[in-house]
Amino acid sequence: MPDKPRHYAMTLRDFSFDDITVGQTASFSRTITEADVASFVALSGDKNPLHTDPVYAARTEFERPVVHGMLLGALCSALVGVHLPGKRALYLGQTLNFKKPVYPGDTLMVEGTVTQKSTATHLVHIAIEMHRGSEKVFDGVASVQIRPL
Amino acid sequence: MNKFATIVGKFFNIPPEDVRDELTPQDIPDWDSMNYLLFIAEVEKEYDISLTMDEVMQAKTLGDVRKCLTSRGITP
Repeated sequence: MPDKPRHYAMTLRDFSFDDITVGQTASFSRTITEADVASFVALSGDKNPLHTDPVYAARTEFERPVVHGMLLGALCSALVGVHLPGKRALYLGQTLNFKKPVYPGDTLMVEGTVTQKSTATHLVHIAIEMHRGSEKVFDGVASVQIRPL
Repeated sequence: MNKFATIVGKFFNIPPEDVRDELTPQDIPDWDSMNYLLFIAEVEKEYDISLTMDEVMQAKTLGDVRKCLTSRGITP
């Protein structure tokens, strides 16, 4: 039986709405591999040569295949659904800004910070940033409702 | 353009000049339960207030939401 993917090892957090405070943070690190890109191509159907064809990518300003921006979007999903708030998350929206190209082999630190909390709606806004070393490669804001159970 | 109408226009995709107190979810195609929550969260942020769950659930018109602001001394 094959090993489970490494992200299965992440501990599923379970913050209730009352547990969450503005300023609260959560983070994880992830190295993006060529296999991740291949999986994303299979999943999404996005086989654009900028991501899949080294010969084509070499002729562009990026010089080698770049990771799909939306694969970084998938890391936002992991942050919200597993780390902050975790189990009770209901994802309502997300903004995505791809600031720098990301390449297979890059290790990203994914960090979210709660910036707003609405008691009336049990909605929180989470500012998400991803860094490669000290360089910011992504930012965006997740709108998430925290369900009772 | 007043701030309240601008927020309504942004979240419910209607021209701010068409915003009227009597509008309900039946009048605004994009007024669904999810968009409404996002709209309320934006209102709270922009006016730096906290609404109660009862106020949010009992509001049936844009005017009802506006009244939540005026009851706190805010002129939307």
